[in-house]
Amino acid sequence: MWTGRLRNSGWQGASLVAITYIYFLIFAQFAFLGRLAALGIAGTNLKAVMAAMAAGGILLSLLTPRISLWSSPLLRLRLGLSMSSAAAFLALLPLSISVAIAVALLIGAGLGLLTVTLVTHLGQWCGEKNQLLKVGLGTGIGYLLCNIPAFFAASPQVQAVAAGLLCLAGIGITPRAIEVKPNSRSTDRPAALPFSFIVACFAALVWLDSAAFFIIQHTASLKAGTWQGTAHLWTNGALHLCAALGSAWLLRRRALSFVLSLAFFVLACACLLLLDPARILPASVLYPIGVSLYSVALVAYPSLISPAASIAQRGRQAGWLYAIAGWVASALGIGMGQNLGHVPPAFVAAAGAIVLLPWLLKICRMRTREIGLVAVVLLAAFLIQRIHVALHAGDPLSQVERGRRVYISEGCIHCHSQYVRPDTKDVLMWGPVESIEDLRRERPPLIGNRRQGPDLAEVGGRRSPLWLKMHFFDPAEVSGASIMPSYAFLFRDGRGNDLVEYLESLRGPGTQQHVTEEEQWRPSAAALAGVDAADGERLFRRDCATCHSSDGHTRAIWQASFKRLPPDLSAGPFFYLPPAEMPELRFERLAQITRFGIPGTDMAGHEYLTGKQTASIALWLLRNMPQAHPSQKQSIP
Amino acid sequence: MNANRADASSRDGSRAIAHVAWHSLLWLVVGNSIGVMLAVLLLAPALNRWLGEWTYGRWMIVHMNLALYGWASLPMLAFLFKVYGADRGPAAAWCRPVLWAWSASLAVASLTWLSGESSGKLFLDWSGYARIAFPLAMLALWLLLAASFVRTRKGADHAAWFARGAKLLGLAILLAVPLAIYVASGPNGYPPVNPDTGGPTGASQLESSLFVVAILLMLPFGLTRRKSVRPWAVGASWVVLAAEAVLCIALGRADVSHHRPAQFLGLGSLLIWLPLTPAYYAAFEWRANTRRWRNAFLWWWAALLVSGWILFLPGVLDHFKFTDGLVGHSFTAMAGFLSALLIFVMVQLLGDDGWIFTRTWSFHAWNWSVLAYVVIMMVAGWLEGSEPAFTISLGAARNVLYILRLATGVIMLAASLEWLVDASVLLREREPVPARAAQEKTA
Repeated sequence: MWTGRLRNSGWQGASLVAITYIYFLIFAQFAFLGRLAALGIAGTNLKAVMAAMAAGGILLSLLTPRISLWSSPLLRLRLGLSMSSAAAFLALLPLSISVAIAVALLIGAGLGLLTVTLVTHLGQWCGEKNQLLKVGLGTGIGYLLCNIPAFFAASPQVQAVAAGLLCLAGIGITPRAIEVKPNSRSTDRPAALPFSFIVACFAALVWLDSAAFFIIQHTASLKAGTWQGTAHLWTNGALHLCAALGSAWLLRRRALSFVLSLAFFVLACACLLLLDPARILPASVLYPIGVSLYSVALVAYPSLISPAASIAQRGRQAGWLYAIAGWVASALGIGMGQNLGHVPPAFVAAAGAIVLLPWLLKICRMRTREIGLVAVVLLAAFLIQRIHVALHAGDPLSQVERGRRVYISEGCIHCHSQYVRPDTKDVLMWGPVESIEDLRRERPPLIGNRRQGPDLAEVGGRRSPLWLKMHFFDPAEVSGASIMPSYAFLFRDGRGNDLVEYLESLRGPGTQQHVTEEEQWRPSAAALAGVDAADGERLFRRDCATCHSSDGHTRAIWQASFKRLPPDLSAGPFFYLPPAEMPELRFERLAQITRFGIPGTDMAGHEYLTGKQTASIALWLLRNMPQAHPSQKQSIP
Repeated sequence: MNANRADASSRDGSRAIAHVAWHSLLWLVVGNSIGVMLAVLLLAPALNRWLGEWTYGRWMIVHMNLALYGWASLPMLAFLFKVYGADRGPAAAWCRPVLWAWSASLAVASLTWLSGESSGKLFLDWSGYARIAFPLAMLALWLLLAASFVRTRKGADHAAWFARGAKLLGLAILLAVPLAIYVASGPNGYPPVNPDTGGPTGASQLESSLFVVAILLMLPFGLTRRKSVRPWAVGASWVVLAAEAVLCIALGRADVSHHRPAQFLGLGSLLIWLPLTPAYYAAFEWRANTRRWRNAFLWWWAALLVSGWILFLPGVLDHFKFTDGLVGHSFTAMAGFLSALLIFVMVQLLGDDGWIFTRTWSFHAWNWSVLAYVVIMMVAGWLEGSEPAFTISLGAARNVLYILRLATGVIMLAASLEWLVDASVLLREREPVPARAAQEKTA
């Protein structure tokens, strides 16, 4: 009785699904390729081997439901597992190219036979209740086990042996007998969509998945952000399991088209995010979710959801589905990754048009007026815009004008003002003051209304082009506790240099006068009263050490670009300081330089520091700088 | 038969308004979600690298424009549908397409903003393709209103003729709006500048405030009927508005400092609306379920008038300019006053369906969170005014305040989500029976 209940629980179905996925993912996709690489099979030879695998898969996927030889499902299942297991063990041998092709053919054929047989009869091995959940569980566990760090990072030989043993275990757990029913379906909500459409949807999803997989696998930065490291792998495994269970739940609650649309949306986002290596983190979260969402459906559709009229029809559908969507689309996806190195957004849109077709048709049918009016408005706008651009094509913009466009495009105005308020603290920090007449000459004025960062009205007088560039690459490194994001991407094309040129142009006629006022600045008595050398050291480490210590990060990266390498303040030389015998003057000058920088050099000021903070840094420097330096000069070379 | 027709017409009207509410709330939720994301980024700048080229600055443009042209503008479509009768009869079938066109142009505009298209003008950020698409969507609305106006010709008494004249004038003004948006978004033309702050002058603030007052005075005529009590308040309000318009013209449009007494005293003339606005609204009949939001909008209006004037005073504005304090003030205007006003208008138009906005939890969650947000930003602004580096770099006090601000943002998002869910339920209930059956069949 107990064994009967266990048999009806459906664990065999879930286990077989898990074994099949593990074999495919860890052996056919990884370990076998690793073995081929170790054997020196690459280039055209590798393509021939992979083509043989695909040919075997397609052939057996299509033939399995059509030939009557060894028609017992159990026999076929065991045969498929045996072939797969044998291929895994054979892969351990030192293969020549011809033997490798034969083994690849065996892998493909074994998988073709195994997958089509399994899904054709899976309904009878998944118990009587919650069959979709068993499929989800099997898929999720399969992916989770593949992502266990020790297994994932094991040698190809170990992975091949594990895959082979798992297949043998699969033979052991197959039921002794099978009750052949005319047809069985676990869901009371049959898919009403045409089979050819379903195949096209899965093909689109597999294509996206394979392309993304190949791109990640062959791009070091992307691979590092997804599949390297214990934390990444456990996260991926957990995401796969959760998404697989979620997919099963959604297949039960909602239609198949909903799950496919959701999987598309998630995968499409992942593919688009992969266009920019900076966005690998969200892509690495979305990719496993999208894959597991559709992977469950790929098993559940032919086995449990398809409204096939007979077992034979179910088998034929599974054969076509795996031949076209599984093998052909996968090969095409890998080809896309290989040749383009990215998934073109236009292809993502085309895939979306296929997967979302039922929704689009439904919306078109029910919302004719709405779509018509939206189309008219957007199309009319497009035409008017084209005409407008054609009529107003003027002279090419100067670099400064282009830089101003970049400033506007990036929304810099939302954090940086360009207005120095007269008779306020602004003047000394960010001055000099610009006249209203000068302001009105700008088209449009970029005054802004909020400061999350410094005012930039006169930034060209305070910062060198190199400093601006360094800051755009890594603001937090160059500017202490800056909250500004990196704009390194602007330097992939000309936008970054344009922006730097524009910012350098922001300086008025009063710059020289302003420098004089800066030189007259001294820390106030209140600032001097609260001065704290320990705090000065902390601030030095945060704001200055990146350029002024021998191992400073900014100094190391940009050392070839500086007009003159920033002095290591523990060694010198100190061209801009009074002699050590005049400590009071030296302290004042240090405070001035800390606060306002050195005009005409790459040394920028730290205007946002308080007087006390500035004095603290100056005091700490004064106490810790060498009193004299062999190469110290009183005049600037 | 007439009763049936009236019922059908009422159902149409209710459905059109419910659709407006849903679209408005959708943009409110999207805008709030972006706002929460931006608040998180200010606390954890390292997360910026997730965004790639869609940086903080570009999302700010989307956030502000969706709040203004999505949430804050769409409810006025409900008002216009009602006033011009577009929500009833054959025209009603075109209300939803017009809403779609509006929302589609906003969605496309959002993509263009994220792609780096911007005019560089705050609150008039229409550039490139979106600068044409959005005015065209407004034009589609105008055509619907004009068609509804032409279709409804009834009544020959003086009141009816007056109403038709006012509507015709309204149509003429509305026709100019798309063109005005297009022109004003261009690089040329900039309002008067206060030379001491770089912000607007007192006269220009008075001018824009008077437009708001004019809308406030006009709204009740399209929403309800006058009561016999307090007739003086209605007449007096219009007379005061006219007088202030004259004062505004007299102040001129020069670049004048807020230190000039004429500027801050002129702006102070708005304080007369503290007693006048409640009295004016008390002279009209309102649905019982509007009371909560009507009171809220009047309180926020009072807070806005007082804080707006105080923040403009010499010394005070010099301290708060460019700080979080003025962000808090803008929030009083948008999330406090304007949101409460818009919800009040929608509840009045939705009638019994206004329940989607009147739940106790979401009402209190929204209003108290907005108040907390404003207080937090005022404190941050005060500290920043004393020490400009306060918000430029990460620090403990700044971070605590920003965490609190984030918490208020999350609460506001939760409240707006509840409204959106309720609006979706309402829409489903208001769906015509055949369409619902078809949907269920398809499912």
